[in-house]
Amino acid sequence: MTTATTAPAGRLTPSPRALAGGGLNALRRHPLLLVLALMVLVFQLTTGSFLDPGNLRGIATDAATLAIVAVPLALLVISGYLDLSVGSTLALGGLVAGWLAGQQHQSPAVAVLGALAVGAAVGAVNGILCCYFGLSAFIVTLGMLTAVRGLAQQLFPLPLSSFGSGFAWLGGSRIAGIDAPVFIAALVLVAGALFLALAPSGRHVFAIGVNREAAYLSGINIRRTPYALFVVTGVAAALAGAIKASVLDSVVAGTSGAGFELTVLTAVLLGGVALTGGSGSILGVLLGVLFLGCLQNGLTLLSVPTFWQQMAQGTALVAGAALAYFGPRLTR
Amino acid sequence: MTDPNLRIRGLSKSFGGVKALDGVDLTVPAGQVHALLGHNGAGKSTLIKCLGGAFPPDAGTIEVGGSSHTRLSPRESIAAGVAIIFQTLSVVDSLTVAENIFLGQEWTRYGTVHRRAQEEVAAGLLERVAATCSPRDRVGDLPMGQRQLVEIAKALSRSASVLVLDEPTAALSGAESAALAERVEDLRTQGLAIVYVTHLLAEVERLADAVTVLRDGRVAHHSTVAGHTRRELVDAIVGRPEPVAHGTAAGRTTGGAEEPGGADELGRTDEHGAADDVVEGITRAPRLTVHGFRGPGFGPVEISVAEGEIVGLYGLIGSGRTRILETLFGSRRASGGSVRVGERAVTAAKPSDALAAGIALVPADRRRQGLFPVLSAQDNALLPSIRPLARRGVRALAAERRVFDALSQAVGLRPARPRLSAAAFSGGNQQKLVLGRWINQARRVEVLLLDEPTQGVDVGARQEIYQVVSSLASQRGTAVLFASSDPEEVVALAQRCLIVSRGRITGELRGAELTEAALLSAVHEADDTGPATSAPATSAPATSAPATSAPTTSAPMTSEGAA
Repeated sequence: MTTATTAPAGRLTPSPRALAGGGLNALRRHPLLLVLALMVLVFQLTTGSFLDPGNLRGIATDAATLAIVAVPLALLVISGYLDLSVGSTLALGGLVAGWLAGQQHQSPAVAVLGALAVGAAVGAVNGILCCYFGLSAFIVTLGMLTAVRGLAQQLFPLPLSSFGSGFAWLGGSRIAGIDAPVFIAALVLVAGALFLALAPSGRHVFAIGVNREAAYLSGINIRRTPYALFVVTGVAAALAGAIKASVLDSVVAGTSGAGFELTVLTAVLLGGVALTGGSGSILGVLLGVLFLGCLQNGLTLLSVPTFWQQMAQGTALVAGAALAYFGPRLTR
Repeated sequence: MTDPNLRIRGLSKSFGGVKALDGVDLTVPAGQVHALLGHNGAGKSTLIKCLGGAFPPDAGTIEVGGSSHTRLSPRESIAAGVAIIFQTLSVVDSLTVAENIFLGQEWTRYGTVHRRAQEEVAAGLLERVAATCSPRDRVGDLPMGQRQLVEIAKALSRSASVLVLDEPTAALSGAESAALAERVEDLRTQGLAIVYVTHLLAEVERLADAVTVLRDGRVAHHSTVAGHTRRELVDAIVGRPEPVAHGTAAGRTTGGAEEPGGADELGRTDEHGAADDVVEGITRAPRLTVHGFRGPGFGPVEISVAEGEIVGLYGLIGSGRTRILETLFGSRRASGGSVRVGERAVTAAKPSDALAAGIALVPADRRRQGLFPVLSAQDNALLPSIRPLARRGVRALAAERRVFDALSQAVGLRPARPRLSAAAFSGGNQQKLVLGRWINQARRVEVLLLDEPTQGVDVGARQEIYQVVSSLASQRGTAVLFASSDPEEVVALAQRCLIVSRGRITGELRGAELTEAALLSAVHEADDTGPATSAPATSAPATSAPATSAPTTSAPMTSEGAA
């Protein structure tokens, strides 16, 4: 279960043989890779259109907002914390961006920055309460989930829509031939992976998650890094909200991002991040996000009713946990 | 009622080829206090655990309450009338005194707990042990001594006929210890058979009717209390009439345990300068100077460690040695005094302050405070060095690897695999990783504090760790201060040893006087509760004169080993 902790260290120019071995290793560490490949194959055979470029693009765009939040959330979980408030922060971020762009006629940049600032504020409240006051992250962010949703509905009781063509750029334009949300998600994934591999704080994240007391006695600042991760998670959730608002050109305070926190957490956990902290990898998170995106899309193509889709998603999480628990015992 | 008598015959127990108990006999009639002595690892705990049903013995019989058993389950042990009061009490802090006494045997009426009846009976039991607390008090709010009495009352409620007390005064203040001694005497007159495990000879003299000393799993000494001297007991505990002196003392050893003499004996040892490294130590510049240092449950203490010197802190569990180290390192708050590293004054409010000043600590509880089990060996050894090695905020992977390789060679890490998770290493190699965190090339540590440096470490790795620490001191001039409860370790590693008792430094041993026997008699005799009669030469001069005469602080000392 050491996944990314050991992967990036050591040789900088791996030999081809090492690469092949690394591939096998990756498969052993991420059995989800195999499951994902099988699932894609089954969906392609049954629908015949799953691998069409248009459909893949749809999957990528759907998965993008999930990935943007899943990466910082995964880092937070690795360091032993949790953020359940991201669904509500996403809604508030989308509303603030939409309100600035649509009703205040601000430039798209100002609209997005406004959303990010609100997300940072929510993250800072979570971070201060959890990291500096030592309150339980589960309780604090569960409370914030409800409180921020209530705030969003109080501030924006009516649905917002028609944010203008400028703001639509965020969700609809293409950068280097890739949809903007997918491009942003790719940047977030790369940044997350580089952080874990190359930043000194990346190691600290693991150390704090594995053994907080030992990390403290090693002279590591055990508050600052998780606090920063709470802020970044809030920012990421608000950014995802702004992107969703731009794609849909409308936001409703009561329903936007409802249940999103659980979907993101599912993706993170499916990706092999341990809820107890201390282990996980960005590659795993990517796989978890893609798995959920493909599952949802394939089942929709097969016209499976929504409730069955939810059942499939939930079953996948429990099956994944069971696999992670029993798998090593069976192979040994 | 059953016959309150304990008779153990030929009890043996092995753990993976090591004989922890080898044919031990122990008989305690009703109304007797039997003291059980022996040094760590002598087999006392194993004996108690066999009696309590935690381990099944390999051979032998336990007769208790009139019936004979070859093995006991915990439930059978309680039913037979055995009650064991461990050092770490098993009371539930959040429940009341009465609830604790009746835990697992609640009195019910109409399907609910009959609180009033329980409290009435509890009050009677508390009176029997002369506890001052009320049945309705929350146990978590009580001082240590009262909690212990609650546990004894609980034992009485189960009509125990054999009471085992495992180092009962280790966590108690002087006054509480004296009160406990009276309770033990009461219980003896009430007809209980009492097994009293202790390290303190003064307690043996005050309380015991008979004594058994265990060494290496065997009965090394058995007598009624009048039939022995302190010297005989210490010799039985140590097991060597001719203790091996530290260093290469030329000629015969002076000031050894078997040589009773006056205080001038000590002066003579210094004059002799038997161990030359110590003489050098005196001339070397002090690296760590601790003056009037006070903290939770200890102090004031005076400690000075020279450049390249290795000094031991030896004392029983609860004596304060761990707290002194933890407070120096900033993980506990000091309440007074000064600490200097070289010429610089240091105030460490948290570990990172101490580290910035060049003070590092390797904690005793490796699992909880030292190791990151699922992280790689390299991460474990280099964690605090990653940021200093990084350039412009980016990790220097090649440099990290270089530092790790040099370190793993220096400490003899096996296997020397940087990516293997720390959990996969043996205890000794895990300790090398935690130690390596402070002694690698990327760190500059002026003062290294070690708490039980080889706890849970096999014999081979133990020697390697001693060598690493010794060469660190001699080659890099690091000042080393370590705490240990193992006299063998102190003799092997320390150049000088301070004796810690009840939060004070009560003596110092150096050179040829630093022997296992001297260490044992120093702590066994350094105790407030008993009169310090006929202190032999080996109990050493008090380095800080006021330490022994000043009254004990009222702060209750809790057992620190696990805390």
